[in-house]
Amino acid sequence: MKALVLLLGAALSVRAATYYVTVSGLGGEPDYEQRFGMWAADIGKILKAGPDSADVHVETLVDGTREQVRAALDRVAKQAQPQDALVLMLIGHGSFDGVEYKINLPGPDLSAAELASLLDRIPASRQLVVNMTSSSGGSIDSLRRPNRVVIAATKTGTEKNATVFARYWVEALRDPAADTDKNDVVSALEAFRYADKKTAAFYESQKRLATEHAVLEDTGKGDAVRAPSPENGEGHLASTFPLLRIGAEANAAKDPARQELRAKKERLEQQIDKLKYDKASMAPEEYRKQLGELLLELARTQEALDK
Amino acid sequence: MRLLLAIACAAAALSAQTLEQAESLWKQHNYKQANDVFRELVKAHPRNAGYRVRWGQLYFERFQPADAADLFGEALKIDPHNADAFLGLARVAAQNFDSKAPEFALKALEANPRLLAAQELLARLALEDNDPVKAAEEAHKALVMSPDAVQAKAVLATIDWLNDKPETTWDPHTGEAYETAGAIFVLNRRYEEGIRFFRKAIELQPDLWSAHSQLGINLMRLAREDEARAQLEMCFENGYKDKPTVNTLRLMDSYKNFVTYKTDTTVLRLHKKEAELLHPYFETEMRRALTTYEKKYGIKLDRPVQIEVYPDHEDFAVRTMGMPGLGALGVTFGYVVAMDSPSGRPPGTFHWASTMWHELSHVYVLTMTQHRVPRWFTEGLAVHEETAVSPEWGDRLDPHVIAAIKDKKLLPVAELDRGFVRPSYPTQVIVSYFEAGRICDYINREWGWNKLLAMIHDFASGASTPDVIQKELDMTPEQFDKHFLTSLEAETKKTVDGFEDWRKQVMKVAEEARAGKHDEVIRDAVPIRDIYPDYVEPGSVYQFLSDAYLAKGNKPAAIAELQRYAKAGGRSPDTLKQLATLLEEAGNRKEAAEVLDRLNYIQPVDEELHRRLGDLWFALGNTPGAIREYRAVLAQTPTDPATSHFDLAKAYRASNQPAEAEDELLLSLEAAPGFRPAQRMLLELSR
Repeated sequence: MKALVLLLGAALSVRAATYYVTVSGLGGEPDYEQRFGMWAADIGKILKAGPDSADVHVETLVDGTREQVRAALDRVAKQAQPQDALVLMLIGHGSFDGVEYKINLPGPDLSAAELASLLDRIPASRQLVVNMTSSSGGSIDSLRRPNRVVIAATKTGTEKNATVFARYWVEALRDPAADTDKNDVVSALEAFRYADKKTAAFYESQKRLATEHAVLEDTGKGDAVRAPSPENGEGHLASTFPLLRIGAEANAAKDPARQELRAKKERLEQQIDKLKYDKASMAPEEYRKQLGELLLELARTQEALDK
Repeated sequence: MRLLLAIACAAAALSAQTLEQAESLWKQHNYKQANDVFRELVKAHPRNAGYRVRWGQLYFERFQPADAADLFGEALKIDPHNADAFLGLARVAAQNFDSKAPEFALKALEANPRLLAAQELLARLALEDNDPVKAAEEAHKALVMSPDAVQAKAVLATIDWLNDKPETTWDPHTGEAYETAGAIFVLNRRYEEGIRFFRKAIELQPDLWSAHSQLGINLMRLAREDEARAQLEMCFENGYKDKPTVNTLRLMDSYKNFVTYKTDTTVLRLHKKEAELLHPYFETEMRRALTTYEKKYGIKLDRPVQIEVYPDHEDFAVRTMGMPGLGALGVTFGYVVAMDSPSGRPPGTFHWASTMWHELSHVYVLTMTQHRVPRWFTEGLAVHEETAVSPEWGDRLDPHVIAAIKDKKLLPVAELDRGFVRPSYPTQVIVSYFEAGRICDYINREWGWNKLLAMIHDFASGASTPDVIQKELDMTPEQFDKHFLTSLEAETKKTVDGFEDWRKQVMKVAEEARAGKHDEVIRDAVPIRDIYPDYVEPGSVYQFLSDAYLAKGNKPAAIAELQRYAKAGGRSPDTLKQLATLLEEAGNRKEAAEVLDRLNYIQPVDEELHRRLGDLWFALGNTPGAIREYRAVLAQTPTDPATSHFDLAKAYRASNQPAEAEDELLLSLEAAPGFRPAQRMLLELSR
């Protein structure tokens, strides 16, 4: 998560903002209506309660129409600066006819192509689109673009059953366990992995055949993948995309007096990353010794920072 | 007219030639073409029952019994007295241990009193039903029809062999007869002897592939895998590809995905994907059961017991293929036990530890009797053992059993084996397990454990059920049935008599619960709760009451209901977790931990369960328990590895195991170098 720390560092001088737009579409039946609306509302509440809420702009559209979505994204397009970030989260049912994906909204539906053109007008250089609807895999081709992370709840447009991915995406924002590297920031990649794992566990526990397989694409040119990794080249941008700050990191980042300690911390973290990268080629005892020393030094530095 | 006659003659000639062709192709093992010819033949002669029967026999021989049965049924529609068609149906039914097999065989004999194969089948079916007297009678009738009837002699010889009389005058000295003997010995769970007969069959008839297949399957059951594979591959290569052969080979191929753990007394085979998680729980329980049984049964096993745990129920099913009875959860082959994994069953529907104790009881009883024990007795004792470990284990009194008691469908003890081997109604196997278990409970209660032990020794000497009952309980089987039923009916009277009303009332309570009428639920559910206390399935009265009490803010009453549910054997993970949460909220962490610990025996594949239980044990100072649970979290590749390693580090530290604590701490920080609590512990340890 080194790049994330650097991004946070960069944010000190320019006060980057994050714009969150969450849309829940038509449920079609009361159970889904209630569920979709609840998930969207929960996301809004969690984001607003974050430690740096002054820098976040949250808009939640429950049962939002196409016009309301257009208007919301137009507003972001007018306000956002290039250093800002945009997070668009879509919940509900989607459809895919083999060519075109659409999210089901009250009134006319909204196609992935139109959504892409609305997003392209937004100057925020970093964008994350989390399409959690059924058939959402059918939207990836239209939404894919450099500097944009695209997450879909289904790997193709043909996975048409209602999805549960959104439920666990909300849980990822709420559960500190989603922050697996414990840097007080839940990245897009961490949330994706958390929700994907929980979704798979849901089907497993119910002894049901999984009808959704979430995927991620963040290179702007590759195929969306189930398991982003350095090997397949996917996931780097997502790992550096701060979806939600959950603790003191943001505040620490704003304190200029601690710059030297922070720089030392970053150096140590980079050394640890490199050591982990070299692990396979090292004798286990040597690796353990060096890791222990670096971790201890890092802990001491963090202790000084926390004083 | 002349032209018509010519056409008829030509058709007859074609027909004869075509049937001959089919038979010839069949004889040459060219089954596909033989099948094609039969199809054309039946198409050309739709009213010829004989062709359909013969075609059905081809299907039966080539391992497609359902298609065969269809053709026999079609033949009977054309010719309702076709003896061969009835015989075909009898054979299909016999293969499935269907109770209709004797009925079809009798109909075949009615249609053709000289049909030797039907008479021989009746003899074999009686022996399969553990009725040697009837089997001998039927076999002698066959010998009257034909003094050289091989299968009749095989049945008579097998009766002698089963009674440990190796020198029998009936030994027909043929491969097929020895194969029959082997199959009957396997049915009596005398696998080693069964294997010896299959070997003799092959010695006399090396191309008897069905015997090779049975030899392979039974070697596999006893974990002699190299020879088993060689036999089965030989079958496969020679075109003998019936389901048991193919599926067993497939199962053996999958063994590469299993991990084997060995100790001096145990061998545990677990699937890779869950081995690390299940190993500590299964091995601990296995050792506990073996230690308990060693004392209880008074014998020490002379070799380790092997338990194989299958997460895929289909793999487990291959182990039980061709065996009568349910075989639904576990099965014992001598010193080898195969069972379902908890991950292979919907959560809350399977108590794996109860199944393990059940199967391990078989290991002792089969060993003590050298497999000479009636099925009802070993099953009954195994069911008895489940609730002897804990009253909350074992199966509950279910509606099928209630109906059987009410309708007086329980079998006399002397005939109880029939309920396992050839059930006459769909749920009779379940009912028979229950009945056998309660008989053993009853004997244990009235005469004591030593009487059950004495019965085991009697069966070991080859005594029959009536003789053993007479000798040990000093009464006839009929008198025993009377006493037992009086006791059972008294025990279950409230539930059996009140069941219909209870059912109606529960439906009413369910309606009230749906409508949110909590006061009405409490008013109507309390009086019916104790009519059928064993009902702990979804929609139980306990759950309705607990939900209603919670809705009214009465947590102590909700806890009390869920405690009753747990005590009655309730197994729903969600409900038990709810009870644990309520207990924790009420400050009763110890009982909360105990409730969650029960789930380890039901559904241990649950990361959240182990984390919660680990936290509770840690808070209660039970560090070994906490270590076990946190290790279980890590065995499931947790969502949050840093926290999981850190939790384990804390538990090791509290348990004064600093080296292990440091290892886990480093693993935690390796996953999340900036994890503050782990950093603090690292600093503390370094000072």
